[in-house]
Amino acid sequence: MINDNVLANIAFQEDDFEFKGADTTKLDTNFASQRFWKDATMRFRNNKGAMFSLVTILLVILLAIFGPIVSPYTYQQQNIKDTNLAPRIPLLENLGIFNGNETLKTSTGAKLKNGYVINKETGEKSDTYYWFGSDTLGRDIWTRTWTGTRVSLYIAVVAVLIDMLIGLSYGLVSGYFGGKVDSVLQRFAEIINSIPTLVIVTLLMLILKPGLATITLALMITGWIGMSRIARAQMLKLKEQEFVLASHTLGASSFRVIFSEILPNIIGQLITNTMFSIPSAIFTEAFLSFVGLGIPEPMCSLGSLISYAFKSFTTHPYQIVPPVIVLALLMLCFNMLADGLRDALDPKMKER
Amino acid sequence: MRRYVLKRLLISIGTLFVVILLLFTLLQFMPGSPFNDEKLSADQKVVLFEKYGLDKPVVVQFYKYVVNMLQGDFGVSYTISKNTPISQLLKTRVPISLRIGGQAVLLGALIGLILGIIAAIWHGTVWDTIATIVSVIGVSVPSYVFALALAYTFGYELNWFPLLYTMKAPFQSSVLPSISLSMFTIASIARFTRSEMLEVLGSDYILLAESKGVYGPKLIVRHVLRNALIPIITVLAPLIVGLMTGSLVVEKIFSIPGIGSLLVTAIQSNDYNVVIVLSFIYSAMYIGIMLVVDILYGVIDPRIRLSKEGPND
Repeated sequence: MINDNVLANIAFQEDDFEFKGADTTKLDTNFASQRFWKDATMRFRNNKGAMFSLVTILLVILLAIFGPIVSPYTYQQQNIKDTNLAPRIPLLENLGIFNGNETLKTSTGAKLKNGYVINKETGEKSDTYYWFGSDTLGRDIWTRTWTGTRVSLYIAVVAVLIDMLIGLSYGLVSGYFGGKVDSVLQRFAEIINSIPTLVIVTLLMLILKPGLATITLALMITGWIGMSRIARAQMLKLKEQEFVLASHTLGASSFRVIFSEILPNIIGQLITNTMFSIPSAIFTEAFLSFVGLGIPEPMCSLGSLISYAFKSFTTHPYQIVPPVIVLALLMLCFNMLADGLRDALDPKMKER
Repeated sequence: MRRYVLKRLLISIGTLFVVILLLFTLLQFMPGSPFNDEKLSADQKVVLFEKYGLDKPVVVQFYKYVVNMLQGDFGVSYTISKNTPISQLLKTRVPISLRIGGQAVLLGALIGLILGIIAAIWHGTVWDTIATIVSVIGVSVPSYVFALALAYTFGYELNWFPLLYTMKAPFQSSVLPSISLSMFTIASIARFTRSEMLEVLGSDYILLAESKGVYGPKLIVRHVLRNALIPIITVLAPLIVGLMTGSLVVEKIFSIPGIGSLLVTAIQSNDYNVVIVLSFIYSAMYIGIMLVVDILYGVIDPRIRLSKEGPND
């Protein structure tokens, strides 16, 4: 056959072949094993919704810190002359938006009104600016909105602390010790959980004065149960494993086993759950303030601002818009952030 | 199974007892007595105390209180509508709240299911994205924001539905509140249905059914939906809690004469008696629903039915 002959006649020279890549180490960089946190950070960064939420929340935090400072008004200052003024912002007013005009519906038809005008014939305007407008008592809505946002952010911090300090320890202790301790602790949690939060809070308000301290207390009574359940379930799953047994054999105390052996292994789930409890705590506060059980005047929170502006929301809708948007944005972003964190920290839990 | 039901029942009764005890204790600490009138002489007070059983030991009073509460004798309102028995106040209000809550649940379940099914069947398409966006917004935005937006556009600007509740047109008045209350239900049911259906769609028995030639609506309805719907019962309890708190705000916004707005008014006007009775009713409803959901779940899921202990042990 021809092929056989051709093959037999080929003779290889010395420099026909050369070693390729002999001096570089062969490592699969694409699928190399990564450290858990690096991996999670990468997954989180690729999640557009979660990154957007993170940026928005940071922005809201900055505005809550600096918003009231840059404003010439304070949250409780009433300017009786400047009641119910529509939003007016320098520069933007020249473009025809946010120039203090508002349309009022009257029995004779719609009427354009600008409260900033001091001289009706020349149309001259005063040099006061209310960026988000002013309310029925002449208070600056910009300042009040961001002061109210501070309350919501404070509640977010409280929710995290409650989850981490009360819920976490309760669940871990209950799951770790098991037996009688577990069943007493679980019955107690079950009873508290069977009374609606609404009822607990209402009754607290009857005994104590409405205010931030009472809301914090109410969250402390009811806010830790979800977290304690998850911590307990995780503890039950992990405590029979070999590394725990090994730690016991080496003479570790219960405290050490719980907090430095088991805790690091379940931290991802716990962080996710904490993030989910933030929006629900913010909602609880806003809800209570809306119903009238929250922060007393002249202090304000997003809920109480909405409740106050609600009374005149058909005539002056701009008064209710800022607190509603900030509240909705905060709730949405904290939820999306929690979703993103769950996907990043625990890819198996990801919804398909 | 019987042991499981019995255990849940005992826990529920125990909790209800704890709630009543709590409420009774609170009543003891409320400032003033019902007979704070300075014109009353000491003798008259003794007579009145005897008449209402206030001279008896606390234990006897508590027993009487429990019996009265369970029989629906809730005492009278002090400030909202003076000396009216609270049971009479409730008689007109409970049906209104139940109706709006019921409509919200039905609407929410229906739309939520449809959205979830669409998202799961056309998984990964535009429909899926739309359904996901709707459910994220519905879960995170509080119901009163929807209520305000709906009230402003459809109640005020367009004038399609009454802005405030009127007794003359109970159905038209209940449309907007029901929709705003149902948003949360729609979102959570859609989310849950979607993930459950996707799980079932990826299972081996669906592959088997498909390879045997079952396809289309028959596959979805008879094989997928039936298995996917079982766990949905678990979301019912938190949803009903959401409706209960949501109703307070929504009833206030649309000024609906239901029990939610009654509670708000009672809190604001310090009518302790009404607050306490409503707390009792809310707790009883909540505990009852939790009990039913737990038992239903046990009936449906054989893994719980057959195990000796309950799902929480």
